[in-house]
Amino acid sequence: MNFLVPAALGVAALAGPLLILYMLRSRRRQLDVTSTRLWEASDVQVTSAVPWSRLRWTALLILQLLAIGLFAFALARPFFSQQTVLGPHSVFVIDTSGSMAEGDRLDQAKAEAADLASDLSEGNLISVVDAGPHPRVLLGHAREQDDVVAAIESLRAGGGEADLSEAIRLGRGLATPDRPTNVIVFSDGGEAPIPEEPVAGAKHIAFHDIVDDVAVETLTIDATGGVTRGLVSVANHSGSETTVELTVTVDGIPSTRLEVALEANQHAVETFELDAAAGSEVMVERMGEPDGNPLDDRVWTVIDEDAARYVRVLGEGSPYLAALVSATEGYELDFDDGDVLVVDRGPLPTIDRPAWLIRPDTTPDGLELTGLVENVPATFQAPGEPVLDNVDLSKLAVAEAQNVSPRGWSPIVRSGDVPLILLGSIDGHRVVYFTFDLTHSNLPVQVSFPILGAALLHWLDGEAPGTVGSGPAGEPIIISAPEGSEPVVTMPDGSTRTLASDTASFADTSEPGIYRVTYAQSDGTVTPGPIAVRSFVATEAGAPVRDLVTSSGDSDPEEPGTVVREWGPWVLAALLAMLAVEWWIGHQRPWLGRTA
Amino acid sequence: MLLSPELRSRLDRLSVSPRGRVQALWSGGHASVRKGESLDFADYRPYVAGDDFRKIDHNLWARLGQVLIRQYEAEEELPLRLAIDSSASMSLHGKHETALQIAAMIAYLTLSGGDRVQPVSTPGSAGKVVAIGPAGRHISAWPVVERWLETLEAAGRAPLSPAIRSLIGGSPTRGPVVLISDLFDDEWERALDSLFVGAGGLVLHVLAREELSPEFAGDLRLRDIEMGSVVDISTSEQVLSTYRTSLDQFVTSAASRARRAGLDYLLVEAGDDAAETALRALLSAGVVR
Repeated sequence: MNFLVPAALGVAALAGPLLILYMLRSRRRQLDVTSTRLWEASDVQVTSAVPWSRLRWTALLILQLLAIGLFAFALARPFFSQQTVLGPHSVFVIDTSGSMAEGDRLDQAKAEAADLASDLSEGNLISVVDAGPHPRVLLGHAREQDDVVAAIESLRAGGGEADLSEAIRLGRGLATPDRPTNVIVFSDGGEAPIPEEPVAGAKHIAFHDIVDDVAVETLTIDATGGVTRGLVSVANHSGSETTVELTVTVDGIPSTRLEVALEANQHAVETFELDAAAGSEVMVERMGEPDGNPLDDRVWTVIDEDAARYVRVLGEGSPYLAALVSATEGYELDFDDGDVLVVDRGPLPTIDRPAWLIRPDTTPDGLELTGLVENVPATFQAPGEPVLDNVDLSKLAVAEAQNVSPRGWSPIVRSGDVPLILLGSIDGHRVVYFTFDLTHSNLPVQVSFPILGAALLHWLDGEAPGTVGSGPAGEPIIISAPEGSEPVVTMPDGSTRTLASDTASFADTSEPGIYRVTYAQSDGTVTPGPIAVRSFVATEAGAPVRDLVTSSGDSDPEEPGTVVREWGPWVLAALLAMLAVEWWIGHQRPWLGRTA
Repeated sequence: MLLSPELRSRLDRLSVSPRGRVQALWSGGHASVRKGESLDFADYRPYVAGDDFRKIDHNLWARLGQVLIRQYEAEEELPLRLAIDSSASMSLHGKHETALQIAAMIAYLTLSGGDRVQPVSTPGSAGKVVAIGPAGRHISAWPVVERWLETLEAAGRAPLSPAIRSLIGGSPTRGPVVLISDLFDDEWERALDSLFVGAGGLVLHVLAREELSPEFAGDLRLRDIEMGSVVDISTSEQVLSTYRTSLDQFVTSAASRARRAGLDYLLVEAGDDAAETALRALLSAGVVR
C-alpha cells in the first residue's frame, strides 16, 4: 500500500492535542449542595495539584483517536497498484465489422473493454475508436469511466468490413507527446485486410466465438424479356447440412417461399420469378430459428426504374467519348435524347440536365475565360475527391487549355493555377467542365480514363430521382442536394437523418438495408433523391478468427501496466460511520462519559 | 405566619396520639406509666402502712384473708419534645422552611390538645449545641412558640446526637420526641438510637427534590455547604445511578434505624405543600387523630 499524499499522515499528530485535552484537568463548575456524602462514591479521583490527571480511556476517546487516524489516512489518499494492460493513454480499437455480430463476439469485446475501463484511474486516459468500414473516434482522452463505458455501449456491429489498419492509424493519431500510448485492438481479425507487419505498442484481444450460420448473400433482379426473375445466393457456414427456408417479399408483402438444401460449408444459388414493378423493394429473408449472425439473414434490392441510362453527345464528338460511354456499364449512347448531356466543343447549349462540357466555345456562368495556356501538365488532383478514387492523373499532359477563373466551381484537377477539370452546377444540374479538348491531351490514352469517365457519369447521374445504387454496407452514399435544400436520409429502420445542405456524402451506412435520400426544399416540397442498397459483406459471414501480430513497441515488454486504486472513499465512508456512532454514543448513551 | 388559618382550623379538630405511656408532672388526658386517681381500675397490691383505708378491697380480704389495695390508672399530660435541625444543610431548597412549618403544625396540635410541647433547635446561637424554645402547655402559648420558630435560621453546624441527648437526658418527664431533620450528619445513626425513650416518637426526614432527583450535567465540583468538603464529579448516567443507590441505602437505613428505636419514620419532600402532605401521612399512620 502506498500514499499519494504521505505528508497528510502528519494530521495524525492531532491525536497529541486530543490526549492532552483529555489529560488536562477540566475546569469544574462549583455547586453548593446540602451534603456531599451521597456523592462520594462518584468522586473522580483528582487529588494532584498538577493541572493534569491520569488519562482515562473512554469509548469516546478511543473513537475520537480512531477518527483522527482515519481522517489522516483518508487525507494521505492510500492506494494500491494493480496490474493492467492499460497504459497512461490507451486507445480501444473495437471492431464493429459484420463478423463481430457472429455469436457474442461484439458483446464479449464490449464487456472486455468495459472491464478494462474499470481500471481507469487518475492519470490514465482512454480513447475509443469504432473500427467499422469508416473508422471514427468515438471518444478521445477520457478520464471518466462512465464516459468510456457509454461510448463502448453505443457500438453496434454493422454489415461492413472493418478497416483495421485505418482504425489503428486513427488511434495512433490520438497519441499525445506527454504520455505513451498503447493501442488495444478488440477484434476477431475477420476476413478484412489487417496489417501484416507487427503493430507496435499494441495488444490484440481476439474473440474466437464461432457458431453455425447461414448467410443470405446476394440478390439480383433481372427484368429483361418481360419476366422479372430473382437470383439469390445462400451460403451455409456450418459443419452440417441444412435446409434453408427463404421468404421473398415485394414491398413488404410475402410473394414467394423457397427451400434451399445446403451441404456443409456450401454455397447455392436459387432463382425465382416474381411479380414486381420497377421501383419495388424486394427482400429475401431467411426464416426459422436465429442463427449465429442475425445481420446476414436478409438481403434487399430495389428494381431500378430503367436499367439503361442514355448519354447524348453534342458538338464535334470523338471516338474516345463513344468508346467511353459504351464501356461504362449501364450507359448507352442516344443521339436524339439522353439522361446526360455531353458537349464536346462547339456552342454551349441550354443546360436542362446533367452535363459534361468539354471545352465549349463559350464558358457558362461562374467561369470567366481569361485566356488560353499551352503545354500544361496536371500537377494537382484533389485528395479524397470521390470521382478521383483510383484515378491517377500524374501523367496527364494538355497541349492547350482554357484559363478560367472559377466562381462557385470546384477545380479537382489543376496545373498550377490553371484549372483543368472542374465540378459545379448550372440551374441546379450537375456539370463537369473540362478546360481542354480531349484530342489535345493524352487523357484518352491514360489507364485512368475509363475509370474517370465512369466516375464522372455516375456523379452526373447521381442526382437522378430513383437512381438505385448498390454497395457493401459501410459504403458512403454520394449526395448532391439542389441549392437551398436539405438532404434527408431515411435509414433502414425507418428513422431519418437530416443532413446539412452542403453534405457531399453520407457514410453511416454500416447497417444493411435500403437508404432513401430525399431533398427537403425550403418551401416545404420534397423531391426524391438516390436510393442506396447496402448489403452485408458476404466475406464477413463465417469469417475466420485471426490474430493480429503486435509488438510492445518502445515500452519494456516485461513492465506491466499499473492502475492506481484509491481507498480514500472507503476510508471516508468508515470515518462517517464512526462519526455517526460517536454522535449516537454521545447523545444517547451518556454513561460512556460524555461531558456537557 | 407559619400556619394558615385554614390549616389551624383543621388542626383544632385533631390531636397527637402517643404510642406509649407518658410520664409528666401534671395530670392530663394521656395514659401515664404511674398509678393515679382515675376511674379506670389498674391492679392490686398488698397494703402497706400509710395507705388510704378507702382503697382496701374488703371482699378480697374476706375471701382470701389478705389485705389488698385497689390501684387505678393515672392520666397525665403529653410532654412532647420537638427537635428541629437548623444546620446549614437545611438552608437549601426550602428544606428549613418546610421543617419549621411541620414543627409549627405539630406544636400547634400539641398545644391545642392541652399538652406540653418543648421545642429545641440545633445548633444554637453563640456556639451552643441547642437553642431551647419556649415550652407551652396550652394553646395560649402558641403565639410565643410560633414567634420563636419564626426566628430560627438554618446556619452553622452542630452534631445531632449531643443535641438530642441534651433534650432528653435528665428530664423527669417521659413523652414522645419528634425529630425534623435531613439527617445529613456524620453521626445520624447514633442520633436516632438516642431517641429511644420508650414513649414513641417520630422522625420526619426532610429532603428536597434536588436531592431526591438531582439533575446535574457536566463536570462539577460539589461543595458541602455545611461541612465545606468538595467532591468532583463528571455527570453521567453511571454517576447518577451510583448516587441514587447511595440515596436509597441512606433512606432505607434511616427508616430501619428509626423503627428500631420505636419511632415512626416519614420521608418528607420539601415544598410548599409539604405540611399538608405530612399531615395526611401522620393521620394515616395514626400518630395524629
